[in-house]
Amino acid sequence: MAAMGSGQVGRSVRRLEGAAKVTGRAEYVHNLRLPGMLYGKIVRSTVPHGRIRAIDTEAARALAGVHRVVTIADIRAVVPEPFYGPAFHDQPILAVDKVHYVGEPIAVVLAADPHIADAAAQLVVADYEELPAVYDEVEAMTSAAIVHDVLKPAGTFPDLKHLQGRHDTNVALDFHLRRGDLAKGFAEADHVFEHTFRTQQVLHLPLEPFVSVAEASGGADDGRLTIHTASQSPSFVRIEIARLLGWPENRVRVKVPYLGGGFGAKLYIKLEALVAALALVVRRPVKISLTMEEQFYTLTKHASTFRIKSGVKDGRITARQCEVWWNGGAYADIGPRITQKSGFTAPGPYDIENVHIDSYSLYTNLTPAGALRGFGIPQLVFAYESHTDMMARSLKLDPVEFRRANILREGRPQATGTLMQDAAIAAVLDRLAARMNWGKAFERGSGTTRRGRGIAIGFKASISPTTSIAIVNVAADGSATLYCSTVDMGQGSDTANAQLVAEVLDIKAEAVTVVHPDTDVTPYDMATLGSRSLFHMGNAVKLAAQDARDKIAALARELGLPEGSNVPVAELFQKKYKMQAGNIIGIGSYIPPYAPPDHDTGQTPNATPYWMVGAAGAEVAVDTETGQVRVTRLVNVADVGRPINPRIVETQLSGAAIMQLGFTMQEKIELDGGQIVNASLADYKIPSLLDIPTDIQSEAVEAEQQSGPFGAKGVGESGTFGVSPAIANAIDDAVGVRLTTLPLTAETLYRALRAAANEPLED
Amino acid sequence: MKRTIHFTLNGAPVEADIAPHWNLVELLQREFDLFGARESCAQGLCGCCTVLVNGTAVSGCLFLAAFADGAEVVTIEHLAGGKLDPVQEAFLECGAFQCGFCTPGFVLMARELLRAHPDPDDDEIRHYLAGNLCRCAAYPEIVEAVKLAARNMRKGA
Amino acid sequence: MSPFELAEPASLAEAIKLLDPQDSSIRPIAGGTALMLMMKAGVFRPTRLVSLRAVKELSAIATQADGALRIGAMTPLSMLERSAAMLAHAGVVTQTLRTLSNVRVRNVATVGGHLAHADPHMDLPPVLIALGAHVVVAGPEGERTIPVEDLFAGYFETVLRRDELITALVVPGQGGRRAAYLKCTTRAVHDWPALGVAVSLDGDSVGAARIVVSAATEKPIRLAGAEAALRDGGHDDAALRRAGDAAADEAETTSDGQGTAAYKRQLVRVYVRRALAAALGRGGAH
Repeated sequence: MAAMGSGQVGRSVRRLEGAAKVTGRAEYVHNLRLPGMLYGKIVRSTVPHGRIRAIDTEAARALAGVHRVVTIADIRAVVPEPFYGPAFHDQPILAVDKVHYVGEPIAVVLAADPHIADAAAQLVVADYEELPAVYDEVEAMTSAAIVHDVLKPAGTFPDLKHLQGRHDTNVALDFHLRRGDLAKGFAEADHVFEHTFRTQQVLHLPLEPFVSVAEASGGADDGRLTIHTASQSPSFVRIEIARLLGWPENRVRVKVPYLGGGFGAKLYIKLEALVAALALVVRRPVKISLTMEEQFYTLTKHASTFRIKSGVKDGRITARQCEVWWNGGAYADIGPRITQKSGFTAPGPYDIENVHIDSYSLYTNLTPAGALRGFGIPQLVFAYESHTDMMARSLKLDPVEFRRANILREGRPQATGTLMQDAAIAAVLDRLAARMNWGKAFERGSGTTRRGRGIAIGFKASISPTTSIAIVNVAADGSATLYCSTVDMGQGSDTANAQLVAEVLDIKAEAVTVVHPDTDVTPYDMATLGSRSLFHMGNAVKLAAQDARDKIAALARELGLPEGSNVPVAELFQKKYKMQAGNIIGIGSYIPPYAPPDHDTGQTPNATPYWMVGAAGAEVAVDTETGQVRVTRLVNVADVGRPINPRIVETQLSGAAIMQLGFTMQEKIELDGGQIVNASLADYKIPSLLDIPTDIQSEAVEAEQQSGPFGAKGVGESGTFGVSPAIANAIDDAVGVRLTTLPLTAETLYRALRAAANEPLED
Repeated sequence: MKRTIHFTLNGAPVEADIAPHWNLVELLQREFDLFGARESCAQGLCGCCTVLVNGTAVSGCLFLAAFADGAEVVTIEHLAGGKLDPVQEAFLECGAFQCGFCTPGFVLMARELLRAHPDPDDDEIRHYLAGNLCRCAAYPEIVEAVKLAARNMRKGA
Repeated sequence: MSPFELAEPASLAEAIKLLDPQDSSIRPIAGGTALMLMMKAGVFRPTRLVSLRAVKELSAIATQADGALRIGAMTPLSMLERSAAMLAHAGVVTQTLRTLSNVRVRNVATVGGHLAHADPHMDLPPVLIALGAHVVVAGPEGERTIPVEDLFAGYFETVLRRDELITALVVPGQGGRRAAYLKCTTRAVHDWPALGVAVSLDGDSVGAARIVVSAATEKPIRLAGAEAALRDGGHDDAALRRAGDAAADEAETTSDGQGTAAYKRQLVRVYVRRALAAALGRGGAH
């Protein structure tokens, strides 16, 4: 690896945008107003599944101040085939003929005054012929209620092609992995365990709700669109909008300032196609800002059911069968990718010879589900690490030792056959056990307060194959500007990328300017997701900076300077141009190697460019009279490679763990016949300062990702992996009761305690 | 039903024509291009819309703009007049934010806390700031920042 | 939100005149934190709001000749929270205020608005009932007093007429009485209570205990059966347990997002016992 010459990498540089954020002056799409701009208010479906008989817009149109009420017929005048999506072209800009979930957009009211748009939207009335609906992912496998009449894969992914035109099914993708001889593995085992776990539908809930603005200019043949959007994927937005319009990419400009949180919600197309179409329909700028409530009708995290069965012989896991059902909601979004990319890690970070995985992406009549910080991994880890603990408990084995005996070691094949490389699973487990003082006696409480502790470890493969491109521009005074389409949504990518540039160019990170995504200016990047940016874009940024450095060296040679003469860059430009003029442009492009899995067996020699490893330990105190659980200590340990910015790494780890703590203890979208009944922060409670343990620790183990920039890899999700099962395991340790469904609420636990005492609480 | 109100905004006397159903956040954004107070949850629970009115913190999203008539209104943009104040400085030092959307609210509330309790313990900090939400969950860093600011302010006082 | 008329009378009499006993779209507004939520949600669309902010006669805190503490209805909750008189008079109110909603809401919401809103999840009503407090109400026909215990008619409903205003809250002198309030939340620490339990005892004597539950029930309510269970004066752990059990049998809990009725009955059982223990100064009562 490169020498740590200039000391920019590994330094806790303050965030470049920090001053703008603490003074309230940071730029968000939220702040944007354009001359002549109209505000759009979305009218939403009130039924979970139905054919639209009629939409009556008359009263809304009659309200003073309403500019226009737009339905799909108007949209089709500018976008004849109004269906989008990263995996399937299944989602319409506004509902076409049918609605598939409560909250689906069916019309938009436009007005210069947002209050008038709101009021008018409530006057739009739709008439539906209701259809049978399905909400549960397992029921969706066999339900007579079919969400989509026919499947429409996007063609982007080769492994979805076979689904083209399939009908009478809710299965949007089935992924299968076969390794070894499962029957033999179970036959050889001394003990076979089978458990089923369920996770609930939850919400990203960025505090900046979805917001997009579009402005159109020019005529029919030279028209241009500029979309200002709180998006994690500006390049995708540009390509998808261009495809919808039948335009070349260069007539669509997508600009993204800071995001007020993303967490996977603001990926692919959310409001962008709608505001683009509206701007073309009315030829005025259009802004749509969702309310907090409307976020519940836009994108959620997959609920899941996971049946897991393992055989154990002499403390070694000999066989494992995984069946996972993912509740994708009404539109596929990126769900099929989760089903496959996360699905293949369902057996956990364990060395198991005989493995079967069947992972299914299901359509249901719920708000669509997509990526959420962990991309399906936290759901899987909850199941397999609860299962691990239950087995250890049953076999009277120490949970840490049982894991140690079974974990995937460096160089061993994972279930796909891909060899583990630079995955510090053993080190993470060791450091967690040490931080938890695992070998020492533990105070277990008394009376109605019982204490317990638990651990869990999970892993994730990075998404692949994906591309990132970066440009480093060195100006005539030697100052450097980075152009890349990575979106800083709070993870600190501007700062980390500046550190990479600075390290290579031997300047201060604080002196690097990072240009925010603007597809007219910044080059392509797949998206800011899945903890991929620091690795993928980081490599591209490093290559771009090295390219610039090489060109500076070439310029020095051209000017006849001796090798290593270290003449300041500004002087080189001065010598060359005789004035302060010119640029040096370094370009970096990165695409890691990848081999797609075999369709039938899921086997591949190269499933991922790198592995992420995260573990958590929890200590809890349980009130046995009420079931209330206090998490008193939460320890997160992860392999993040070599930290570029240790301070930000720590915040990423604890922030991810706290978010997952909310998904573990508190959060759940509550449904009543397909209607969400808690669509607000008053009733959907996310963690506050009072809900988190006073003792939170995070540690990045000493590790290096050899293929990463300066040894680094992604960190945004690793803190989520182990939290849920560590707490479930700690609760079992405290009171001897096992919860297999998230969230782990006080009432759920109290009922389980009563059931265990053979005195079940009435419903 | 427009009406004209007069108030002091960040130290300067101003007037604005408002509708009775506007809230304070809308007033600041529509008439004064101040975007540091943001409506997020719209229910007074997240604190993103925190504004100081007559020296006390209010949720701008639940505060009728008309009630600002005659009042002294201070927003995040006004702190310490151009130079960062000790709370902002401590938030930077401790990395007490990620996306930054909730940060102005936390900064304003932390200042209020330190005004009332110059030397708060962890428990006081957690209770006082429990009405502010940070989805990025930079909570440990926020507690650290408030304590650092308290130390620096006591030293400076 | 839609436009409405905002009236800003300077006197109580004028304010009452601007209200209309027949028109539910006209309402008084004090701090407005609760009303704004209803208006934003579209469940209340006013034609006129009568702001009480300019009515000066409603905001003093003063001790009356009879030893009671009189709190003007427009007193912001945070002012009451900081009031030395309140702390000295009944510290349980001060303690309750510290975890009531959040600082910003307490800065704006008023004592009168808090009571008139009649949301069963409010924290003060059970405490005030346990303390034997009453409100002073003004209307076109003059003034009347209503015990807080009788103020609530049901879910978000009071016995107030549409042209009546709460002008003051009166908390009687507590003598040697001791009180405690326990707030139980189920979805997050910082949440509306799923259950509020307030108790008040006459010194160490539980024989005259007042036990009030809220939030888990349709409105705050005194539990006569639980109080009766303590009438013989015994206050050992078994007696407190009996009171908790009686409370659980008696309270008509409701099911909602915070828990099922059956679970809330268990919470009532546990929290009534613990509140009594807390009022008796037994810390480790769990």
